[in-house]
Amino acid sequence: MSLNTDTARLTRWIRFERGLRRYLRGLGGLGLFLAVWWVGAIMTQPSYLVPSPLDSARAFLGLFATSTAVVVPLLGSELVLPTGPAHLLETLFHYVPGLLLGAVSGISLGLAMGWNGTLDDWLRPLVRILRPIPPLAWIVFAIVWFGIHHAGAAFIVFIGAFWINFYGAYGGVENTPGELTDAASTLGVERDLSMLKLVALPSAAPQVLTAFRTSIGRSWMIVVGAELFGAPGVGYEIINASNNLAMATSVAYMFLISLAFLCMDVAFRLTERRVLSWH
Amino acid sequence: MALKGTEGSAATESRKIELRNVSKTYGTEEESVQALSDVSITVETGEFYCVVGESGCGKTTLLRTIAGLEEPSNGSVLIDGEEVTEPGLDRGMVFQEYALFPWRTVRENIRFGLERPACDCPDCAARVRELIDLVELGGFEEKYPNELSGGMKQRVGIARSLAVDPEILLMDEPFGSVDARTRDRLHSELLDIWEKTGQTVVFVTHDIDEAVTLADRVMVMESDTGAVQSTVSVGLDRPRDRTDHGFVGYVARIRDEVASPANIS
Repeated sequence: MSLNTDTARLTRWIRFERGLRRYLRGLGGLGLFLAVWWVGAIMTQPSYLVPSPLDSARAFLGLFATSTAVVVPLLGSELVLPTGPAHLLETLFHYVPGLLLGAVSGISLGLAMGWNGTLDDWLRPLVRILRPIPPLAWIVFAIVWFGIHHAGAAFIVFIGAFWINFYGAYGGVENTPGELTDAASTLGVERDLSMLKLVALPSAAPQVLTAFRTSIGRSWMIVVGAELFGAPGVGYEIINASNNLAMATSVAYMFLISLAFLCMDVAFRLTERRVLSWH
Repeated sequence: MALKGTEGSAATESRKIELRNVSKTYGTEEESVQALSDVSITVETGEFYCVVGESGCGKTTLLRTIAGLEEPSNGSVLIDGEEVTEPGLDRGMVFQEYALFPWRTVRENIRFGLERPACDCPDCAARVRELIDLVELGGFEEKYPNELSGGMKQRVGIARSLAVDPEILLMDEPFGSVDARTRDRLHSELLDIWEKTGQTVVFVTHDIDEAVTLADRVMVMESDTGAVQSTVSVGLDRPRDRTDHGFVGYVARIRDEVASPANIS
């Protein structure tokens, strides 16, 4: 027994040491990057071309030092928040609806086309033609239809999120193992719709969730792209700051986006692990 | 339905499964594969019927046709005299690669067939517990398939198909990916279950030893054509001993049949 506990302690120590080493290596990589950045900033003239890490950190803190009023769309009421979070919230006002609507409609169409051969025959060529168009190319229609504000930016995000989630659901349902549907039909599952619900959907779940996670990241790229054209939010602030040659502020907003994305990604990964505990 | 011959009603009643001139062809007209050709067999109620033959000889197709998962190109499959057109709860199927639902626990997999509205069971939870005991999986109820060994997975597969109390159990090389010792244990468990439930079993395998261990009758399929080559009744008491003289004799006889197709003249 003492031998067992000794081995257990040893494996735990080995695992801890391995984890620690990875952690330290990661820190080393970050340190090295900071050093290169710093040296680059010192050596580059004029100095605004590469803002130093220290200036960027100061600008980042500055995002929380002042406050800005944000108008909540639909409600019309005003919220006063620290400047950084205020602009982040503005971005979320079109990011979240675009992402969710895109995901829901993409998953729905993907499931429908993956499951129904006739619908697949009808729509496949259309999908082939529309799919390759980059979401940002639709900005012209976003502008003329919705104006370049929340709705327009949400539209662009919608398109990006739509396709990623569409393919996740479509592929997931199409890859449902035939032996599972066979097993289900010998166990009394008859109607198409109950087969979709009981077999195809759970079987596709890992692929659907992976696609949704991908779309969380891709939507950040798209939303910043849309804001560079003038929709309010962090992306707009990046270009706005750089127009004033306040490059350190641009960097600060870039890190704010990175932070927001990391939080969402971690949160989603934790949910995913709970939902797919069988995987 | 019309019945040929002069057999009495007792004889027709005992016919659980009947295949009449069943053929199955896959592919296009130019390039087709004959999986079954003119198969006519009868399986009696409560019989343990094994089908042996080389890999790819159409054994699985035969089983899937009885299950209603494949439609015969010609001929018909009758269960209790009624023609089979689709899968039904009267025929349970156990798959070679288990086909368990990976997102469901052991308990939920076994429950699957009991959740349909078509199936009314007064106490599903008790039924599931009973099945878990039957296949000796107590303590593993909340595990997911990927946490189980091959033998355990197949026990779940068997319990899942037994849950809806089918009259016929169709088994497609169920112990093919299980190690030899586990297979021996599963054989005796399966025979116990079969004796308890009185089900009709059609069991497909390429392992002649396995067929002689289990079957009342062994049907040998021809390797290329998918036709019935011969049928051997195994007149040995159970449990059967593989070193027994009679056992060895049956194995040798069936092996000869498999090795030398009758239609080569």
